[in-house]
Amino acid sequence: MIDGIQFNSLGEFLAMGGYAFNVWSVYALFAIFLTANLALPLRKRRLILRDQKRRLAALDAREESARDPADSAGWEVSMAGDEK
Amino acid sequence: MSGRWQWFHRLGSPKWFYEKTTRWLPWLVGAMALFLTVGVAWALLFLPPDYQQGHTSRILVVHVAVAGTSLSFFPLMAAAGTVTLVWRIKLADMVAKHAAPLGAWFTFLTLASGSIWGSVMWGTWWEWTDSRLVSMLFQLFLLLGVISLRTAIENAETAARACALLSIVGCINVVIIKYSVDWWNTLHQPSSPISMEVGNPNGPEFWVATLVMIVAVYLFLAVSLILATRNEILERENNAQWVRELVAQAR
Repeated sequence: MIDGIQFNSLGEFLAMGGYAFNVWSVYALFAIFLTANLALPLRKRRLILRDQKRRLAALDAREESARDPADSAGWEVSMAGDEK
Repeated sequence: MSGRWQWFHRLGSPKWFYEKTTRWLPWLVGAMALFLTVGVAWALLFLPPDYQQGHTSRILVVHVAVAGTSLSFFPLMAAAGTVTLVWRIKLADMVAKHAAPLGAWFTFLTLASGSIWGSVMWGTWWEWTDSRLVSMLFQLFLLLGVISLRTAIENAETAARACALLSIVGCINVVIIKYSVDWWNTLHQPSSPISMEVGNPNGPEFWVATLVMIVAVYLFLAVSLILATRNEILERENNAQWVRELVAQAR
């Protein structure tokens, strides 16, 4: 056992000298508090990036279709020409 | 604009904040993880049981750290609110907006952990005549008030200014919380004097563990608030070229 640890067994550690409910419920709340306030903003970030990616893609598609169709056709022809 | 103030406005630029925090975050998260691990391991495994409280003193390491840190929310929101009112820097209001709910979490955990400790050490979960308990509950209500004020006012700029004012006024309660135990002491104990003597109820084995936990909790506050503020920036600045590029690069 590492020097300085106040418990001799896992059972003794879990029992917390009769105050298991109090000690462990506070540490459980502390864990929820930490996890929630890191996980929620990270989850929100993923949602924001996903939504904005879609929004930008929709904007791009609209710009594409608004452009002169002859123009985009010409671009494709020149690309095909480069391939050869 | 005079050069003296340029740094101030650059600091208020969402883009500047976003780029700086991208570089800071890994260090802040690393330091937070380190201090949290040491603090929790010390409090749960190495802290000797108190001669009166037994193992419930392990609760106090978390309670004292979270409670002390919860008092920084109103001063933080008041400082950000002053910047909003005087210089109208958007970033300050984004920080203030996300500080309020995080502060409510801190205050709630303070009340809950104190109550769970008090239920066995004081023999009661709650005491309405205790000024420390009641002023802390009042802080929770004030924070919920700031949150609902922002959602209640439709105009974003008016809402920001109203929240700024309430945050500045709310600082009075922080002073009351701090000195309540000395002014009207009923149940909650005043802060114990720090002792350098090992074996003393507030000897180094207790207060150094608490200090480590305080640093951990402050780092956590910074990380969580930065993450929320960055989200707000991505949403509010979604038409800026730099945000579009960032979105395009994201997986």
